[in-house]
Amino acid sequence: MNQVGRDIPRLEVRAKVTGRADYTHNLRLPGMLYGKVFRATVPHGRIRSIDTQAARELPGVYRVVTGEDIRKLIPEPYYGPAFHDQPILALDKVRYVGEPVAAVLAGDPHVAELAVQLILAEYDELPAVYDEVAAMQPDTLVHDVLRPAGTFADLKHLQGRKGTNVALDYHLRRGDADKAFAAADRVIEHTFKTQQCLHLPFEPHVAIAEPGDDRLTIYTSNQTPSFVRIEIARLFGWPENHVRVKVPYLGGGYGSKVYVKLEALVAALAMLVRRPVKIALTMEEQFYMITKHPTTFRIKSGVDKEGRLVARSCAVYWNGGAYADIGPRVTQKSGFTAAGPYDIDNVSIDSYALYTNRTPAGALRGFGVPQLVWAYESHTDLIARELGVDPVEFRRKNLLRDGRPQASGTVLQDAAIGEVLDALAVRIGWNKPFDRGSGTLRRGRGIAIGFKASISPTTSVAVVNVSADGSVYLYKSTVDMGQGSDTAFAQIVGEVLDVKAEDVRVVAPDTDITPYDMGTLGSRSLFHMGTAVRLAAEDARAKLRALATEAGLPQGTNYPPAEIFKKRYGMQAGNVIGTASYVPNYKPPDPQTGLSDNVTPFWMVGGAAAEVEVDTETGHVRILRLVNAADCGKPINPGVARTQLSGAAIMQLGFTMSEAMHLDGGQITNASLADYKIPGIGDIPPMENELVAAEQHSGPFGAKGLGESGTFGVSPAIANAIHDAVGVRITELPITAEAVLRALRVKAGQPLDDE
Amino acid sequence: MIPFEMVEPSSLQEAVGMLDPQDPAIRPVAGGTALMLMMKAGVFAPSRLVCLHRIEPRYSRIALTGSGELQIGAMATLSEVEHDANVAARLPALKRALRRLSNPRVRNVARVGGALAHGDPHMDLPPVLTALGARVTIVGPKGERVLPLERLYSGYYETVLEKNELITTATVPSLNGRKSAYMKVTLRSADDWPALGVAVSFKLQNGAIRDPVIVVSAATEKVTRMTSTEKVLQGAAPDDATLARAGDAAVAEASILADAHGSAAYKRELLRVYMRRAVRQALADDAQRVQS
Ligand SMILES: Cc1cc2nc3c(=O)[nH]c(=O)nc-3n(C[C@H](O)[C@H](O)[C@H](O)COP(=O)(O)OP(=O)(O)OC[C@H]3O[C@@H](n4cnc5c(N)ncnc54)[C@H](O)[C@@H]3O)c2cc1C
Repeated sequence: MNQVGRDIPRLEVRAKVTGRADYTHNLRLPGMLYGKVFRATVPHGRIRSIDTQAARELPGVYRVVTGEDIRKLIPEPYYGPAFHDQPILALDKVRYVGEPVAAVLAGDPHVAELAVQLILAEYDELPAVYDEVAAMQPDTLVHDVLRPAGTFADLKHLQGRKGTNVALDYHLRRGDADKAFAAADRVIEHTFKTQQCLHLPFEPHVAIAEPGDDRLTIYTSNQTPSFVRIEIARLFGWPENHVRVKVPYLGGGYGSKVYVKLEALVAALAMLVRRPVKIALTMEEQFYMITKHPTTFRIKSGVDKEGRLVARSCAVYWNGGAYADIGPRVTQKSGFTAAGPYDIDNVSIDSYALYTNRTPAGALRGFGVPQLVWAYESHTDLIARELGVDPVEFRRKNLLRDGRPQASGTVLQDAAIGEVLDALAVRIGWNKPFDRGSGTLRRGRGIAIGFKASISPTTSVAVVNVSADGSVYLYKSTVDMGQGSDTAFAQIVGEVLDVKAEDVRVVAPDTDITPYDMGTLGSRSLFHMGTAVRLAAEDARAKLRALATEAGLPQGTNYPPAEIFKKRYGMQAGNVIGTASYVPNYKPPDPQTGLSDNVTPFWMVGGAAAEVEVDTETGHVRILRLVNAADCGKPINPGVARTQLSGAAIMQLGFTMSEAMHLDGGQITNASLADYKIPGIGDIPPMENELVAAEQHSGPFGAKGLGESGTFGVSPAIANAIHDAVGVRITELPITAEAVLRALRVKAGQPLDDE
Repeated sequence: MIPFEMVEPSSLQEAVGMLDPQDPAIRPVAGGTALMLMMKAGVFAPSRLVCLHRIEPRYSRIALTGSGELQIGAMATLSEVEHDANVAARLPALKRALRRLSNPRVRNVARVGGALAHGDPHMDLPPVLTALGARVTIVGPKGERVLPLERLYSGYYETVLEKNELITTATVPSLNGRKSAYMKVTLRSADDWPALGVAVSFKLQNGAIRDPVIVVSAATEKVTRMTSTEKVLQGAAPDDATLARAGDAAVAEASILADAHGSAAYKRELLRVYMRRAVRQALADDAQRVQS
């Protein structure tokens, strides 16, 4: 039976709904202490003193630890994937409200929590900077020294600019944009902004470290176990194999759990007290861990008389918060595609990762691309309207198609951009008349498409183990956090070895057992690890055949594995181990032009079409229909793929309509689910989800990643639909009812008061 | 959380005796849905909670009196009120409000007494019951007193209850043909707390509004009766012009506050619009008989 293309439920769902699945939150070790974090209350300041006495004296408190205590254990206690800029606990300075400053350990988490409230810290406050554009000026420096990490192949060039807040700047120059603007029939320019928001998985961050003699085992809810092992080993100066990282199922991640989050802290605490230490964040504490980049995007396009885009310039400012995390990669990778999926000869892109005094920003489902699509698809729609051209026709005319070089110079291949656009137009009925509403309720439609370069060059290693009765194990360090990767990999193994996917045992990440993987992020797993898994299964198949020959079985016959083993070893014994690794080719962009003819092994394509109804008296927007479409190549599991599409769209819907972290003097004023609103079930519009017919020829069985594609088009599709309905343009997320009403009132010449 | 004492008296009188008029760290607890959140957030650290679950069952009853008044025991859950046949038949605005109040998990646990005593101006029951003319019966060491619900609230999260007084009953008079409606405006998600609540009730005589009660909540410091607006409506036909004037009057009368839901200027616009919509909805009385 074919395993690839089967619509099977995810392998772990039964364990999850019956409560049998393991989560780090449930784990308790003998002798374990609970840690609670004391956090900074000022956005930027030098630490003058930390008074821990009252906390230490509280009965039940085992130990109170500050950054200086950690410095005695680890002389350079800084970590991070791009820069080693983040101290395990604040040293010398604090750089955002909520930054960990001290930790209390106690046998009872409630005692630890109470003790945290008894700690007093004093700071000499420094001026702070919150806005990404303001941070371009070196008036307030968040970091005095920059420490490039040099860990990842694609970030080896990182320097950081001394005396600035710029962690990375990426520049792309293709053709001659200035000349083309001068010659263009029309030049149109806009600025768009996005807000700070966050992932909020149902399972907040949690990690446990269990110490040994110069060894540690870390149990953690993390998307990058291999990286955690390497980074923790580096901090302690140990070989990799002294750190064991075990990751059970995750209750969601969305990019919030990539690289080191709580792991360095629990590791340092456990080594200090020589007891297992657990830290589990509350929902509210997640607001101080990692967020999505706010952005300002200035975009300018030149159009010729025929309505062709001849030039586009993009300046994107990424508000990275106090620590770089993976922001530099977001800045560069998304920089490649900032000009959108259009065939434009003259492109100039400037993309800046900036430090500010906010909670750090990192990867969040889409890796910067949703912020870009918000700007370039709102902008593209506005151009079409200004030219008086149908927005879909305008896109079709300028669309980037297979075989044409994208802005970076990499030729587009297997990117079904036109097909996605067509699918959206057909499903929403773009060319058909519809009810435009009347009176105070007006309806409109909008469409938006986007694309994304995958992450490269990154490595995945897989091991397939056939045991003596023919049953199969797969070892890999991809983390299944609900996206269905275990199931897809089992289907790939099953396809190669001719066993049912349900019969493949997929082993949870454990760095003592499962081999290296760069990380579960950026929709890379199905393509990168999927390829390694396919190759490892093929290796096992070849080795089984060799074993059959060794056992004296005639060539070309189809003996079941169990018989081969029995024949070879005289009983049910032995294993066959297939292994493979996969790392795609990559050419780093030229430092001068930002160009490369190979920036990505595959392109992700997604889009959305929306029909909305606007209440012109209140600005309230009701989404009547949301159509999502994406190119995921040939889906390994169409059912799971469609839920990835709808899940991503719903997540982006929250970032579009309601989610926003509000800041007042550096303090987050709505750090709770009561005042930071994610969509509830009552906010989910009627949705249709389509996977267009496509094939990724270089992918495993024609497939490629999809976890983020559903986010791309949602925000601009809705803004475009609002414009279509009532003629006003929202340029800043989220699209609140108040923002819409204010825009309507401005248009009517009766603006609302500010207050 | 610091350890505290939890007592479970078996009578109302006993419960009152366990409260302390001077000590804010001692409080009654009904469903606990509001109190637990305050404790979790660290804004309330009790020394003693007086749990009302075991007091006499009559304080959980919902019953119709001979005069057609509905008596709702303070310990009735919000779901019990939501599913009560008399509420469905006689007080459609209340039923409708309950169905959109939070979610079934909260409604199954939260009690009417808690919903009235908490004093958060964003809550739904205080405005709708105020517009319906409800009274609350309050018991303390010195005996019983009865207050119109609108007089219960003295400020933001503040009521006129003494620390050793308990609400025992909410009494809702018969509508007697009065029209009523409550409109809740949520902005950030469908199940959000309201940014604005507008509750109305009035009689319609010969095409004119009589004895209107207009209540605004959520956007104001406390649940507020809008007496000037009521004067504008008194005796007027509910046409576009009247409703526009009522909207203007409400905006002039209410002290609207800015918060995380939106600016005051925006909420004033909402009030203008929802003043009209609430009256219109009350007029469409037949349409508002909600199915259970
Ligand atoms: C997720 C969530 C969403 C919500 N959404 C909404 C919403 O949309 N609309 C809305 O209106 N409400 C909403 N609520 C609030 C909810 O209605 C209140 O929490 C609930 O009504 C309080 O009732 P309780 O019995 O749980 O009160 P408790 O938490 O037990 O008590 C609340 C307060 O009342 C006091 N108290 C309790 N009973 C009495 C009494 N008989 N006499 C005197 N004082 C008393 C307590 O001491 C305490 O101060 C929401 C709550 C949650 C948790």
